[in-house]
Amino acid sequence: MSDFFSKIGELFSTPAYIESLLHGFLLTLQISYFALLIGIFLGTIIALVDTAKPSKWMAVPKFICQVYVGIIRGTPMALQLFIMFFVIFAIKGFPSIITAIIAFGLNSAAYAAEVIRGGILSVDPGQTEAGLALGLSQWTIFTKIVAPQAVKNIIPALGNEIITVIKETAIVSMVGMYDLNMAAKDIGSGQNMASYIVPMFVAALFYLATIYLITFVVKRIEKSLRKSDLRTEE
Amino acid sequence: MENKETDLVVRKLCKAFGKNKVLRGIDFELKEGERVVVLGPSGSGKSTFLRCINWMEEPTSGEIVFDGEVVTAKNIRQIRRNLGMVFQHFNLISNMTVMENLTLAPVKLKLMKRDEAEKRAMELLRHIGLPGKAAAYPASLSGGQKQRVAIIRAMMLSPEVLLFDEPTSALDPESIGDVLSLIRELADRGMTIMIVTHEMSFAKEIATRVVFIDKGRIIEEGTPEEFFERPKTKRVREFLEKVL
Repeated sequence: MSDFFSKIGELFSTPAYIESLLHGFLLTLQISYFALLIGIFLGTIIALVDTAKPSKWMAVPKFICQVYVGIIRGTPMALQLFIMFFVIFAIKGFPSIITAIIAFGLNSAAYAAEVIRGGILSVDPGQTEAGLALGLSQWTIFTKIVAPQAVKNIIPALGNEIITVIKETAIVSMVGMYDLNMAAKDIGSGQNMASYIVPMFVAALFYLATIYLITFVVKRIEKSLRKSDLRTEE
Repeated sequence: MENKETDLVVRKLCKAFGKNKVLRGIDFELKEGERVVVLGPSGSGKSTFLRCINWMEEPTSGEIVFDGEVVTAKNIRQIRRNLGMVFQHFNLISNMTVMENLTLAPVKLKLMKRDEAEKRAMELLRHIGLPGKAAAYPASLSGGQKQRVAIIRAMMLSPEVLLFDEPTSALDPESIGDVLSLIRELADRGMTIMIVTHEMSFAKEIATRVVFIDKGRIIEEGTPEEFFERPKTKRVREFLEKVL
């Protein structure tokens, strides 16, 4: 046990190790952040296409979205990452961070789309009918009635998706990227501390702290969105 | 009644959900100032009939003419302003306060300025005894309160015709009275009304005409006296025996 604490002391007193950890952590955050931006944006579009009223104009886009979601959800993330690195963006000098962001973004889009689609479909059809009966346009009905109610249903599940992406980015170490996971492995290796337990423990704390913070923020947002569900007046 | 305008004409209206033919050719007219109660056993198509009139359900075939204009997918939005609807489950917009529910449509449709709409909404809320609920969300209202707000929400657009789809079916007995007396008041003021209901005594009292639907067709119609005292068809006699 004293060895454990002395190793912790060693890790935090070696600037190179701290720098490596922070570099790795930063890369993890960068990939997650931009991948989620792409994922939520693209996921919203897919969900809107998917929930749109069937018509001859929508038939092809709907089909494409379904196939896309099917393929992404039906294959391993690690394989998708490999395909991006070794097939699609196998271009010399192409920044690997961009390849990773695209890979995770496209993956996250499929899952976000399902979450958003579910949120939209969970809004009581009576709410749309109320808008229609009042002569409101489809646009007004969606933006003022359906979307705000859908968001309430979407936020908790989307919080889950954010957490999943952050943790899943750890597999970029498989293509040699220096993220938080890779930093822990590197610091623990023979040339450095020659002990994995402490750097991996610290990396775990970094992940945990990040995810705890996100969970906290999502809970707060959820709570503020629920004010119209309260049965008492303000 | 002869010189009254005809608000609504329905011709050969059919509606099928897949293979299930719910309406099988309905011909119907509604004149200004009439109060038509639509009766029928459950599953007869009476709610679907009402919902087809303002295209909550798009008719499979047939024609609906409102104020001399054939209803189509293009003009239905315009027509709905004059064809208010009150739903069984109230359908107050749950992410908006009572006041926002009342003012949303008139303001969005540019029929009133916001302050005008709020003033009118407040008058109506006072009228139904709920001025204190303006800032409340629907979740904090009782069923009867929700339905009365839904009725004045429809009235905010000053429609020519109000459609009521089983307005009291989801309410407790105490609230039913409040909602019915509000509908009665609209009737007394000459509102043209179509109502699907199971409240027989209310139907008798309020109707100028009763329409009976069974298996997607109108099989009998007449004044409440004729309908309740001297029903012409065996089917209506059976129905009345069960419900009265």
